[in-house]
Amino acid sequence: MLEDIALTAREAIGIGSAIYLSAFLFGVLAIVLRKSYPRAAMFALLAGGFIFQTLGLNLRGAEIKGCPLGNLFEISQFIVWSLVLLYFIIGPAFRLRLLGLFTAGLAGLLAGITLLIPAWDHAYPPGIFGGNPWIELHAALAIFSYGIFAIVAVVSVMFLIQQHGLKKKQFKGVYQYLPSVQQLDLMAKRLLITGVLVLSAALIFGAIFWINHPDRVPVFKLSATCLVWVGYLTVVVLRIQKKLVTRRHAMASIGLFLFALASLWPVQSARDSVSIDEPSAPQVSE
Amino acid sequence: MSEVLQSLFVLGSTHHEAPLEVRERMALTPTDAAALQRELHALDDIRECLVVNTCNRLEVYGLANSPDVESTIRDQLCARNGVTRDLLDAHSFWHTNLDVLQHAFEVSSGLDSQMVGETDILGQMKNAYAEARSAKCTGIVLNRLFEKSFQAAKSARTQTGITRGEVSIGNVAVNLANRIFGHLRDSRVLLLGSGDVAEKTAQSLQSRGVADITVASRTYENAHTLAHSLGGAAIELSDFAAQLKRFDIVISSTAAPSLLLDRDMIATALKQRPDRPFFLIDVALPRDIDPTVDTLENVYLYNLDDLSAIANENLELRKAEIERARTILKGHAWNLWLQLRRRTMMASR
Repeated sequence: MLEDIALTAREAIGIGSAIYLSAFLFGVLAIVLRKSYPRAAMFALLAGGFIFQTLGLNLRGAEIKGCPLGNLFEISQFIVWSLVLLYFIIGPAFRLRLLGLFTAGLAGLLAGITLLIPAWDHAYPPGIFGGNPWIELHAALAIFSYGIFAIVAVVSVMFLIQQHGLKKKQFKGVYQYLPSVQQLDLMAKRLLITGVLVLSAALIFGAIFWINHPDRVPVFKLSATCLVWVGYLTVVVLRIQKKLVTRRHAMASIGLFLFALASLWPVQSARDSVSIDEPSAPQVSE
Repeated sequence: MSEVLQSLFVLGSTHHEAPLEVRERMALTPTDAAALQRELHALDDIRECLVVNTCNRLEVYGLANSPDVESTIRDQLCARNGVTRDLLDAHSFWHTNLDVLQHAFEVSSGLDSQMVGETDILGQMKNAYAEARSAKCTGIVLNRLFEKSFQAAKSARTQTGITRGEVSIGNVAVNLANRIFGHLRDSRVLLLGSGDVAEKTAQSLQSRGVADITVASRTYENAHTLAHSLGGAAIELSDFAAQLKRFDIVISSTAAPSLLLDRDMIATALKQRPDRPFFLIDVALPRDIDPTVDTLENVYLYNLDDLSAIANENLELRKAEIERARTILKGHAWNLWLQLRRRTMMASR
């Protein structure tokens, strides 16, 4: 059925990214022109973008016959996909105003940037997970946790904007539509704990593979992933102990997400170098 | 009488001339305001006198025997509130004759208020007039002026839309509380003092879901009465500091001459609840809450000026109505001026 679709994976993903960006611009325009915030339209646009992105990832999955997590482009797209999926779960349940706008902004930005760098979408041999479903699960969970950390970063940015407005006594514009600082702080805390749990589960599955095949996991990748995990775990522990709260918690969440994103490129390079050295060996995912 | 009319004056310092830091230094207690009124009326040069003393304005209306009383009145006011003459001169205005009428009418109608169009000022003007009249400090001219100003205020309000879309301090506080806490049903409110603005703000919060209200006042009976009307509890003012950590919203409106809540008190309470925000509303003059607490993490402090500035953000929409009201008041002021002059001429025949 997927073969009948007259779109390539990149084209479908490109359309999805364009819809995310237009959703963001539409929301910004509504606020600037002081129209009422178009919650339903935002939801519909994000759903449209999500459908095209899901289609693109499915087409790519059909091409490589596996989970499309073989290069930086696919990993980034999967993070964006997880971010938008989480918005659909959290948005309606907790009714966090403007979450759609900020999600659309980050999704459009991340997806757009990865589309603009063709080198990130390089070809790789099929079956990179070596037919090991546990490693595939490890990769999917790890990238999904990055999606959770992405939405934590979105919520943290919203928190900082609302707090800035309250401290500077600003009342108009975006401030009046944002959720309360307490709601945002609580949401960031809950999501961060969820993200750490998901990443921990991913690492447990990865660790089982690593114990059996230590030579197939690059040390740099292992160190960077553990560093991200330790960083988030530290923030969660400090948050539960109420030692890292509100503004500093938000800034730590944003900083860690940027670090996690930045670590993807060297991690991917390290993995590629292993696959170049051992072309016959199946690759290990994130 | 013609000469007398030339000596109708108002000396004032309001939110237009003086920032909050200066207003709190100029502020008079009700007792001091009454004493100032008596002192001024006792002067040989002053025939009639009335002091309006609210959190946003201190005004002395009067009728003098000669136009040269300005310096005397300024000195008398400085002696009463303890500010320097330079400070008063820099942050005050002096109007005479027809300008006095126009000013009084604009004040009564809420056009001169910090929150344009608010209606509380009319009650405050009526109280000031009633007290001055019962103290026999007013006479024919000021009685006529104030009674006409109440009528003018009423017609400006009914003939224009100056009060339409007016946002009260209570509404602003509720919106801010929503931006800090989201829903308010779990928020605990502490009222320090039983002032009118604080009571109205508490009522607004209550109407939006706040269920737990505690009142602390210097007079326990006042606290108890207000707490009863709000369905809350009363505590002694001396006890509030120990219980501060329990509360999310503190509304302060006492007449205390110095700070009630300093930075250390807030910081100590915050340590026991670091992940819960503190929303502090200081509607007292002089202020009850140390302004430096605003720099503390998770503390949001709003004073009268902040709340009024937010409430006036929709002022642009009412600009045309305000101009219409001003024109109506000018007509009333001019009519009164002519009436007073006619009386003067009749009396001199």
